[in-house]
Amino acid sequence: MSWIREGELTIIERFCGNIIKAGPMPKHVAFIMDGNRRYAQKCHVERQQGHSQGFDKLAQTLRWCLNLGIREVTVYAFSIENFKRSKEEVDGLMDLARQKFSRLLEEQENLKKHGVCIRVLGDLPLLPLDIQELIAQAVLATRNYNKCFLNVCFAYTSRHEISNAVREMAWGVEQGLLEPSDVSESLLDKCLYTNNSPDPDLLIRTSGEVRLSDFLLWQTSHSCLVFQSVLWPEYSFWNLCEAILRFQMNYSALQKARDSYMEERRRQQMERDQAYVTKKLQQEGFASHGDSQRRWTLLQKCTAMREERIQGFLQALEHKREDFFERLCTVSA
Amino acid sequence: MGLVVTEEEPSYADMASLVVWCMAVGISYVSVYDHNGIFKRNNSRLMDEILKQQQELLGLDCSKYTVEFANQDKADQVLNCQSALKVLSPEDGKADIVKAAQNFCQLVAQQRRTYTDLDVNVLDNLLSSTNGFPDPDLVLKFGPVDSTLGFLPWHIRLTEIISLPSHLNISYEDFFSALRHYAACEQRWGK
Repeated sequence: MSWIREGELTIIERFCGNIIKAGPMPKHVAFIMDGNRRYAQKCHVERQQGHSQGFDKLAQTLRWCLNLGIREVTVYAFSIENFKRSKEEVDGLMDLARQKFSRLLEEQENLKKHGVCIRVLGDLPLLPLDIQELIAQAVLATRNYNKCFLNVCFAYTSRHEISNAVREMAWGVEQGLLEPSDVSESLLDKCLYTNNSPDPDLLIRTSGEVRLSDFLLWQTSHSCLVFQSVLWPEYSFWNLCEAILRFQMNYSALQKARDSYMEERRRQQMERDQAYVTKKLQQEGFASHGDSQRRWTLLQKCTAMREERIQGFLQALEHKREDFFERLCTVSA
Repeated sequence: MGLVVTEEEPSYADMASLVVWCMAVGISYVSVYDHNGIFKRNNSRLMDEILKQQQELLGLDCSKYTVEFANQDKADQVLNCQSALKVLSPEDGKADIVKAAQNFCQLVAQQRRTYTDLDVNVLDNLLSSTNGFPDPDLVLKFGPVDSTLGFLPWHIRLTEIISLPSHLNISYEDFFSALRHYAACEQRWGK
């Protein structure tokens, strides 16, 4: 399969893989696949060649991840900022995308066999229409597979993603599906392009740069960040193991930080809810600290109503997104 | 510049030194952060330490600075040391984005805005935790944890993240060599 290399690990790789798997393993790894152009320069080949090799390396890395039991991978394939590159390079990258997505659609049997769910995350209307159509077909075709997940960030930046999520919530309010007070961190989580995935446990950036470049800023706030100097097309199984080892060394500290953050978040939500209930009781003319039974009932009622609103909103959002893809598919049919 | 501490026990004296060194090298905006919000809760203690260090470190070397910059006629600026400091915690990160989102949604509910009004720039302007501060160019991260632990997720999209093993007993040499490392970074801005 072109997107996931066929093959098993070598004996040595399998041996080391088993040792690593004895410790905690990331369930979701994100990659900033940086260094294709510098690699091309180093090897005195065209940039396009560098990007092509970069894709091959992605296919290989996905194979390694599957072999190690890492079932979800998110990659930064094309940033909205990359549109600033020369027309030649952007066209080349779009052609590469056309090629690879078309190939993907030809390999439907393999995708089904391996149960690969492909998602493409980004501001897709920014892309050429034919690529949007290819993407829509790939996403809809693999929508129900669940053995492993590949999320490709294409025409993506994190700030656009976060703004989009806020815009969707504002849309929900405008449609009468949500109250402004329903807006919360957890609701924003569910409005991101990545809403069907857990946060990445591990983010790897190659080529030695030590910045996030507008990639998954919200989702990686408590992820293990590993910056490796190897250029992406030269990435090896050992580089991957090294990154996973770093993840393992950070595991308990990050768990603890994440748990205390979630605890604090829950506490603040509870405080907000209590304040809301107090206000409501005062409005209805009851003493705010009077009847604790009445408080409790009102709290339950408000929480349930909010839950109902949120479910309705999320369903509407899901439909909107599916419609977008389905309309693209009927265009190309 | 963001000074992010991932160690459990922060040191006020060492953080104060770092802040004062930042001021001394001319960094105009400095943020201090720890994921437990300890510095924020004990803001005044940190401020006291900083004032103390400022007198000790800059007071002694004041004449040296004057001599170094005399021919550039910048003596006044150096003595004034215009730097701004913010002490931040996790509530200035995601929670601030959520607050901005709630405020915008209130305006939408009141029909004073429509959802299509919201884009990256509008949201950026609605954030309040870093009012008046530009996005950090550099984060110095102290401690063994390889994560930003919730530090200003929105603002660090292009921030260089340089890690140092610890802020405890940090030396000026270590601080300065991290700055030199930053100076060598090349940003392509997506191009």
